Amino acid sequence: MPVSIVTELLARYHERLSGFPAPLGQQFEAGLRALANRLTPSQLQAWAETGVELTALSLRSWEAAVEYFRAGTSYPPQAAWDAIETVGRDALQMAAESAPLAVSFLRAAPGAMEVIGPTNVHAWAELGRRLYKGNWKSSSLAAQFYEVAPELFRVLRIGQATRLVIFIDELARHSYELASACLASAPAVLSRLEEDDRLPFITFATELAQTSWADSRLYFDRGVPLIEKVHSALRERFLLLAAQAARGHHQRSAYQYFEEAANALGEVDPNDHQQVIMLAEQLAPYSPFAAMDFLTAMPTVLQRIRIDELEAWQQAGLRILQASAEGGEAYFRLQSTRAEDILENLSSRVELSRVGEVLRLYCKALTGRNVSIQTAESLAEKGIGWVDEHRASTDGSTIFLPELMERFPNKEENFAAMKVFATHQAAHIEFGSFMFDFDRAGSIFPTRRHAFARERERPATTDMEAFFDLFPDRQLASDLFTIAEDARIDARIKAEYGGIRRHLVRMQAEELERRPPVEMLPLRNAFVENLVRASLDGLHLVRWPRDRAEAMSRALGILNALQAPGATVEDAAEAALALYEIAVSIPNIYDDVDPGSWGAVEPMEAGQAMPMEVAGDEGAAGSQAQLGGSGPGEEEYESPQEIDFRGDFKPELVDLLMKLRENAQGGQAGQQQTMPLTPEQLAELLAKSVEIDLGAMDEGDLDASTGMFLSNLMKEAGTPASEKGDQGGQPTSDNSTGEGEGEEPLKPVVTVYYYDEWDFRAQDYKPRWCAVKEAKLEEGDEGFYEKALKEHAGLVAQTRKQFELMKPEMFRKIKRLPDGEDFDLDSAIEWMVEKRAGANPTEKIYWRRNKIERDVAVAFLIDMSASTDEEINKRDKKHDDDDYDDDPRKYLSWWVSKRRQELTSPPKRIIDLEKESTVLLMTALETIGDQYGIYGFSGYGRDNVEFFVIKDFDETLDQKIKNRLDKITPIRSTRMGPAIRHATFKLMQTDAKVKILFLLSDGRPQDHGYGRDRTEKEYAIHDTKQALNEAKREGITPFALTVDRAGHDYLKTMCEDMGYEVVADIESLPSRLPTLYRRLTE
Amino acid sequence: MAENGSVQGATIYAVEEYSVHEEPYYLPIGDEVQLFETAYRQRIPVLLKGPTGAGKTRFVEYMAYRLGRPMLKVSSRTGEEVEHRMPLITVACHEDLTASDLVGRYLLDTDGTRWVDGPLTRAVKVGAICYLDEVVEARKDTTVLIHPLTDYRRLLPIEKLGQVIEAAEGFLLVISYNPGYQSALKDLKHSTRQRFIAIEFNYPPRDAEAQIIAHESGCDDRTAMDLARLGEKVRNLKEHGLGEGVSTRLLVYAGRLIAQGIPARRACQVAITWALTDDSEVQRSIEEVVTSIFE
Repeated sequence: MPVSIVTELLARYHERLSGFPAPLGQQFEAGLRALANRLTPSQLQAWAETGVELTALSLRSWEAAVEYFRAGTSYPPQAAWDAIETVGRDALQMAAESAPLAVSFLRAAPGAMEVIGPTNVHAWAELGRRLYKGNWKSSSLAAQFYEVAPELFRVLRIGQATRLVIFIDELARHSYELASACLASAPAVLSRLEEDDRLPFITFATELAQTSWADSRLYFDRGVPLIEKVHSALRERFLLLAAQAARGHHQRSAYQYFEEAANALGEVDPNDHQQVIMLAEQLAPYSPFAAMDFLTAMPTVLQRIRIDELEAWQQAGLRILQASAEGGEAYFRLQSTRAEDILENLSSRVELSRVGEVLRLYCKALTGRNVSIQTAESLAEKGIGWVDEHRASTDGSTIFLPELMERFPNKEENFAAMKVFATHQAAHIEFGSFMFDFDRAGSIFPTRRHAFARERERPATTDMEAFFDLFPDRQLASDLFTIAEDARIDARIKAEYGGIRRHLVRMQAEELERRPPVEMLPLRNAFVENLVRASLDGLHLVRWPRDRAEAMSRALGILNALQAPGATVEDAAEAALALYEIAVSIPNIYDDVDPGSWGAVEPMEAGQAMPMEVAGDEGAAGSQAQLGGSGPGEEEYESPQEIDFRGDFKPELVDLLMKLRENAQGGQAGQQQTMPLTPEQLAELLAKSVEIDLGAMDEGDLDASTGMFLSNLMKEAGTPASEKGDQGGQPTSDNSTGEGEGEEPLKPVVTVYYYDEWDFRAQDYKPRWCAVKEAKLEEGDEGFYEKALKEHAGLVAQTRKQFELMKPEMFRKIKRLPDGEDFDLDSAIEWMVEKRAGANPTEKIYWRRNKIERDVAVAFLIDMSASTDEEINKRDKKHDDDDYDDDPRKYLSWWVSKRRQELTSPPKRIIDLEKESTVLLMTALETIGDQYGIYGFSGYGRDNVEFFVIKDFDETLDQKIKNRLDKITPIRSTRMGPAIRHATFKLMQTDAKVKILFLLSDGRPQDHGYGRDRTEKEYAIHDTKQALNEAKREGITPFALTVDRAGHDYLKTMCEDMGYEVVADIESLPSRLPTLYRRLTE
Repeated sequence: MAENGSVQGATIYAVEEYSVHEEPYYLPIGDEVQLFETAYRQRIPVLLKGPTGAGKTRFVEYMAYRLGRPMLKVSSRTGEEVEHRMPLITVACHEDLTASDLVGRYLLDTDGTRWVDGPLTRAVKVGAICYLDEVVEARKDTTVLIHPLTDYRRLLPIEKLGQVIEAAEGFLLVISYNPGYQSALKDLKHSTRQRFIAIEFNYPPRDAEAQIIAHESGCDDRTAMDLARLGEKVRNLKEHGLGEGVSTRLLVYAGRLIAQGIPARRACQVAITWALTDDSEVQRSIEEVVTSIFE
């Protein structure tokens, strides 16, 4: 039967199909045969009819028919007639619109049916049709959609595919290429995601396509690894957050938010993701951007506070966010002082950068020297022998401390710990650890070291070297000296500084808990370990074989004696020597007696423990032998475990460094000039010293690293101490360290200062937002100053006169006072007359001279922005145009005169007039004797606010400064706020009673990033206003002068209740400026 | 002339009648006592140099007491023998102090005017030690008076009266001057400077200062020592807006508070930290020094 129906149908349609190329007929037959067994004859007939119908739809629809028939051969077994019929119906509709679309649909249909199931085929067909917009590109996109079906539906369900199509459709509106690329990569990309994350992935993609479609490719290319940084259970929630952020419009693209947040989460412990994302979700309803920024800020924030403290910080921000979106967003962007402050308050750790200045002054107070404070890391970086980046130390002039302290749960304790660290180092300086003199006697111990001295080939470079040269085992000697000296220092601290004692005792106790078990050590190591314990006030923890108790007891007695108030570094050295003698008498072997025989040891009485003075020469010969090192069969001696708060003590190196510095400075006056050190001497010294581990500093061959070390050391010694304290860059740290020690650096120095910036939307400061780079302006042409004076000779004379008139008012006679220097004759006569007349005369008949001291400091701030390049004539062109009234002859004569004028003197620019006015004012100021500084500013962006010093307050007007004036030229933008803040800082350093800040500009403040975009004006104006307000709060009188005719509109806002003036006629600036100034200060 | 009298417990003296009755506590640090005595015998004017609160004024009082001690004088009015003491006239100079403030001026009286001697004139007349504290603060015209009084002439011209007064036997001019905090403008002129011998005052060494603090404040020796130590440390911070660092006077104040039971850290805070500076960073640093020293 089937055969007959096949034959019948073949015959029936033969004619209809014969007009088409051969494949059509062949596929028709193949399809018929394949389906004959599955379909009833009527179904088969319907199938065939649909196919034939297809051929007739359009010129090329026969191609669709071919595919239709071919599909018949490959339908999956579960495909029922319904499904096959639906395919046909969809194909017909499609082919009516676009034959190629139908072709690709039909080609993919059997495969798709297998993956999505026969029932979903229609929905799938519809999805594809949705992408078809009637043009060629959309048709090929839709075709592509059908083609990827097998791979795509392996990773997506049909419902999810709908979302994907929405995304692709959206993207196609912008770019078919992009849509096609994303579609192509979709199966692979999605397959890499967990099933639950796929839909959120697409949701975010869709949002992205709507707002910043161009990023979609990036997202498809890089999104998956980024998402994988998020904890797997939270990826969906994260993506939904990102999608919310994409819905709004903001400065940054949604993808950027997504990328930054994902990367940030990657740095956060995955176990914390749950909490972090939950907190972010709370922010999202108010501002999804804040939520994303919150995530982005996590690595920074969590470095400073613990995860359980995070909510408090987030809540504080949330409250701000609820009140003002701008404020809250700035908060979570960490661009708000409040965010910083709250973070700082929550954070329990102490950062050296924040307490460095306090500790510096503290150490300065303790030591009486200009010590500076730096991180231990910076010391290690110098490559001069210190390698540990975390241990405190000192080189005798700088104290190095760990960058962070977070060993305790609260800030106070962490700070106290930091202070103990600093105090120990300062005490080394204060109590003379580095002042060891080989020949000086101690105050407690008898001097025995000389007896042990060997013949020397050359005199020792440093006293410390001479001392350590006594010992065959330098490491042991160094360790013992360190213990002795640290014990002495700690004892001194406890005696002198009762307040810090408690913290010190606590640190010592903590160190004691960390000590290694002494019973496990070989004897000599155990001996040293016991000394360490004793030096930490842990006498009760000393354990020692009972049968050797005497040696230990004596050693403890020595250590005790050293803790007397009068002990000096020389005593520590003697103690070290005595301890060394005991130590070498103890073999470094494991004590095989059972641990039960170890017990506590009581220290000997000081007098008993004290070593005997070596009598004359008799002991000298033999004593050297007594200091011999380890014998055969003994364990290698190892240095005891480090003690944290005592840090790294390197007396030999510091001694050397101090020596080198002294040499570098050519020897102080009155000091004996020491012999300069030769590199060979140094190299020898370093090779001997146990304080430097050259190998640890740098891998590679030893000679090279020694060489480098030497040059580092020389460099360090040659560097004047004043240059070392500038790492902070805070406004206060520049001038405070090491004054007077070094010479002036020759090249122009750029000093960087950081200032906050006011964000009026957030109503908060952005902390340390602007970097102001201060440098002296270069010198220019010599003639400029004189030329300007000559040009304005008349004006100069006039201004000078005006200013001179202000001078004699120094003393003003004030009359009619109740008390004074003498009677005022007129008042006295009046008094007499009235008295005689019986009236009641006033007793105010005295006069006195009141001194009106002129004590004025003024900072001139000159706008050096590019706009000051404008020629003045151009500005005035409008007026010029009127002159010739369209009369060509008049125009010609006007033109000729203008040309002539231009030839004799080039056209003046705004900046030229600014400069000339400045010159005039300077001569006036010199007459009157006010302190003044002249500064220019320009720059581009917040990281680069250039602040040029033309004349600083403490400079006197000389040729150099006159030359600098010439170099005032238009440069770049106008970021007024930080320039004003810096000028304020400069003014505050003068002690004048009246302080004036004079701002001379040609237009509104403007800079890259000074506002939401280039056209926004409010932000810049508000920041400038705030800066002026700050100045005012400091008791400074700000005054703004602008030559911008449109200046009134913004100056009114900027200088609300401050003085300002708009000089409309710029040519009058040179005469106007001095007059204004005079009025301002009278 | 006003009689010595007493109003509500306060004793009122005419300026030239004030003398130091009780021996002031003064701990000599060097040979300043001997120097001053010799200078006084030779009538060489003395300039005391040094930072505030270092004991200049106390020293002058002490010297006035010492120099006045042996003399007894028969009162002209009563014939009784009364103890004569060296009168000490102290004038704190300020920037509006003029020559006539020192010499005297006419005052209004019922029928006209009456001349009233200024403190310097009175000192010259009775032969007192006249101590011009912080002399550079005064107006420049005061130097006109100082010069003739401080050389061999020992004369005080009173322009308005047309008089010249020869100084009485016991008269000596002592001025003090703080080189630390005056600006260069207010430096003492050389012509003035070179009429005085200069005794330099500095803060005493730690042990001596501790002794002074203990005596003056009544605190225990340990506290006094800690305060002296604190003083030494804080003075190391001199150039940070602290002028000369903490004065012995402030340390004594702190000691007195502590002796009265105020906790040491708090006492130092109010008497030292906050008294010295308004800069919060420096305050914090001093506070750290305080907490290191005091429990």
